[in-house]
Amino acid sequence: MPWKERYTISDEKSLTDDEIRWPQGARCCVGITVDLSVADGPDGIGAADLTTPEAEFGTNQGFSALLTVLKRYDLKATFAVPAVLAPIYADRIRASVAEGHEIAANGFKHEDVSAFQREEERARITRATEILAEVTCGRPVGWFSLPRQGDPFAGGTISSNTMDLLIEAGYLYMGNGLADDVPHYWVTDFASRRAILTLPYYYHFDDQFFLMFPRKGTGLEHPDALFRNWKAEFDAQYKRGRHFHMTLHPRHIGWCNRLQLLNDFLAYLRGFPDLWTPTGEECARYWLETYPASAYLRLEPSIWHDYPGSLS
Amino acid sequence: MISQLDRDLAELQQAAAAYTARHQFIHDFSYPPGIRIAVNFTLDFDSMLLRRLLNEPPMQLAKGEFGGRVGIWRLIELFDVHHVKATIFTPGRACELYPQALRAAVRSGHEIADHMWEHRVPKEAALEEDHLAKTVAALEQISGKRPVGTRSGHSAALLRKYGYIYRSEGSADQRPHYFVDEEGENCLVHLPFHYVIDDAMFFSFAWLGSENTAQRITDPERVFDIWWAAFRQQYREGGYLNICMHPFVSGRALRVAMLDRLISQMKSLPGVWFPSCEEVARLCLEKFPPRAQAA
Repeated sequence: MPWKERYTISDEKSLTDDEIRWPQGARCCVGITVDLSVADGPDGIGAADLTTPEAEFGTNQGFSALLTVLKRYDLKATFAVPAVLAPIYADRIRASVAEGHEIAANGFKHEDVSAFQREEERARITRATEILAEVTCGRPVGWFSLPRQGDPFAGGTISSNTMDLLIEAGYLYMGNGLADDVPHYWVTDFASRRAILTLPYYYHFDDQFFLMFPRKGTGLEHPDALFRNWKAEFDAQYKRGRHFHMTLHPRHIGWCNRLQLLNDFLAYLRGFPDLWTPTGEECARYWLETYPASAYLRLEPSIWHDYPGSLS
Repeated sequence: MISQLDRDLAELQQAAAAYTARHQFIHDFSYPPGIRIAVNFTLDFDSMLLRRLLNEPPMQLAKGEFGGRVGIWRLIELFDVHHVKATIFTPGRACELYPQALRAAVRSGHEIADHMWEHRVPKEAALEEDHLAKTVAALEQISGKRPVGTRSGHSAALLRKYGYIYRSEGSADQRPHYFVDEEGENCLVHLPFHYVIDDAMFFSFAWLGSENTAQRITDPERVFDIWWAAFRQQYREGGYLNICMHPFVSGRALRVAMLDRLISQMKSLPGVWFPSCEEVARLCLEKFPPRAQAA
């Protein structure tokens, strides 16, 4: 009997608020992803993307400004880095590692892998991992497939092989999934329960969908809506004791009033006691130990049937 | 030349008149004493079914899956706290995907109604009936009673054959009304909903195939203001409001918090009733039966 394959990727019900505990009795977990990609569409980063004033700003002044704000509030982030950028900005990547931030992969060049053959995608994961390991002197444990402003959907593009290949390549976690708002297991084989831990992502907390979206010059600017979304989600998740997550792009959020907006929001967060602010890796390691799949991935026997005249 | 223009005129007049004639509006619509407005909270429990049907990529399916794993549970809890009876328009196949959540909804007294078998109405008549019959059986099995309402484009004749009494779609009138098919038969109560009171219009990226430039991504406060204004206007009129939500959209923590505030503010006024859609439909049939044909 088929499982709910091609429909669901995880168990039938998430962990309830009561089941969730954070280290040292913390009330809520706060995760920050910084996406360094400058890719606009499915091809990923090309030379044209790197040779723009926005890219220059994002990797210089915007990048430094973002690091300064994070440092002001003593926050460690996970930097999702397309591997091709690591050698180009090696000094800045190493400086972020020195400050305690995590470097994770965001594709080989943040390309859409959904149409690749398995071998092609595997080769890209392998090469991306090598490049990042070389620059940071330690291999990445987190992989991201974050969305781009020009994508038709705002969830990030993966293929039907991606998750399995990440397990094969030894990745500890996948950085962006939408099936939950706490870490959860993305199952690639229901019979053997082969799965990879996936951290929550949601585009309503990602700056790029509110700041000159969908593209510079013709996009709409809604920093107020972004701020209200961050605040409303944080307030609700703090009350529930779950997880709050935001995604930032230096080239977007680093620019004058937007940087102030981020500063104001982080100042607001600082007013709350008992926040745990791990990197993606720290969060993943804690979760895997506290909520191992063997005990917390609750896959029900499938009652899914194939019927003539219906999708299978 | 003139005769062609007159034919056009006659054709348009006839089309408009025939369409209008299919409606029976309830001009003296009112509630039992003490009630000023009925608010139907309706959930379209597609989860990832529509995403799958449209062949959308894996992350889109995961986005829908949030509705089944997380969102539906939170919304049931929210409605229970507020003693709101909601209506969950459920694709038949959702019974195989999320039986636990649906059973929990039934235990709390929420209505389970039809939202197609796999979120489509087949063009072939025999397959359409097959899908409808499968959904009736699946919903009956999970809820212990046959569904009487739908949010779908299933044919009215088929719906009446299977015992349906209402359809929640369209916005031909702000209040519940009756609508018959093109043959003037198979009358159903229509419980109107409007896309402006639909969470996906404000929060779901690429909804209904919309382009990036058309995204209306916004925040809960703005939607609260729009929905509250709609409620206030209907409250003054003694009218009706149907709030259409999707668990994968409105089940997000920030929006559950907004709905909590919205329901609390509604409850601060006297005479606000939160029944299931079935209750409203039965009230119509009992107090304001349709003229021609017994529904």
